[in-house]
Amino acid sequence: MTSMMSCKLGIATLLVALAVGCGGSTMTAHSAYSTVTPNDDDDDATAGLIQHHRFHHHGGVSLFITMSLDTLAITPEQRVEVQKIRADLHGRMELARAAEQSLEMTLADGVAAGNFDQPKVDANVAQLTAAGATVHDALADALNRLHAVLTPPQRDALVDKVSAHWAVWQRANAEDHHVQLLMADLELTPDQVEKIRAGLVDGKSPKLDSREITARVQAFDIAFRAEKFDAHALSNFGAANAQMIGWSASTMVHFVETASPVLNSEQRAKLAVHLREHASHDPSAQASQ
Amino acid sequence: MKTMTMLRLALTLAGGILIAGCGVEVGPEYPVGYYDYPPDGYIATTEPVYFEGRPAYWYGNRWYYRDGGRWSYYHSEPRELYGRRVPAAPPQRVYEAPRVRATPRVGGGGGGRAGHGGHR
Repeated sequence: MTSMMSCKLGIATLLVALAVGCGGSTMTAHSAYSTVTPNDDDDDATAGLIQHHRFHHHGGVSLFITMSLDTLAITPEQRVEVQKIRADLHGRMELARAAEQSLEMTLADGVAAGNFDQPKVDANVAQLTAAGATVHDALADALNRLHAVLTPPQRDALVDKVSAHWAVWQRANAEDHHVQLLMADLELTPDQVEKIRAGLVDGKSPKLDSREITARVQAFDIAFRAEKFDAHALSNFGAANAQMIGWSASTMVHFVETASPVLNSEQRAKLAVHLREHASHDPSAQASQ
Repeated sequence: MKTMTMLRLALTLAGGILIAGCGVEVGPEYPVGYYDYPPDGYIATTEPVYFEGRPAYWYGNRWYYRDGGRWSYYHSEPRELYGRRVPAAPPQRVYEAPRVRATPRVGGGGGGRAGHGGHR
């Protein structure tokens, strides 16, 4: 009996050694695809990225791909071609970016005035959603060029970054995270917070099928790591992008229009300034590397 | 007797793997008790270093890399990776100055490099 136990111990020791023996320790599976909640120990770059993902949705997952180029550690030999592709990707998202800018400006005007031009808001949302639906097809050739110019490890890094952006984006756009940030930013009173939260749970909040987006991100992950890649063959990617962009626009409208009547004039003025600031800049399109 | 032989064989193999399995490594041992790994925001904003055919990230005083669907790390710092973080760690991209945090930040350490980072 004792011998058997010793034997089991020995085998267990062997298995542990095999598990940790070369390279390192294995930890919990990466949670890029799981639901995440806001936490407060983010570094400044992460906090800034959350801020970015709250207001800039115009490319959907394609924007995540483009942003991933910013920190891919490309070689000097690749630089010219990658920068060309990056500029091309941003250029092809410009229609959607401009539509998003119009929506944010319209909302800023509405917040400042305490009264929204609803037909204009609806038209802006429709325009952005329509522009978003064209993003993937417009980008497909550039993505194929990108795949060709990157090395396999760089492709691995890029898809890890896309998954990471998707996870951060979900955090940034969790409804209560918006409320918490607004609470801190505009110094809302507890009563105001309660009223906004009550307004947001009225059943009118737009619904996003995040599982579908996750499935498209995973499909991109597998396809882009492969030796051969054709962005045109990514099924439903354009539809997922369109859903994400449309949902983001509707959610922004719902949130701002719900919060605005609860705010005092000073808070509304401050929120309007924030919206205009985000409408007038596009930090992900600025030069990097 | 047969059982004891198996036990000795298992222990010998385990020891051999632990001694020989990790290649040439330099630098100090990593601190004990740190079991975190790079949060999504860190991966999204930080440049990797390509080593042994894969991207590695310097985070929380360790080099992390993807091993299939999981994160692993080097127990001792490979010489080449050490040279890539000294004198300066790989750059991070800050897209926007964070206006506010949802709640006050705990600790205030920078970039996750000094120690504590995200939890999953």
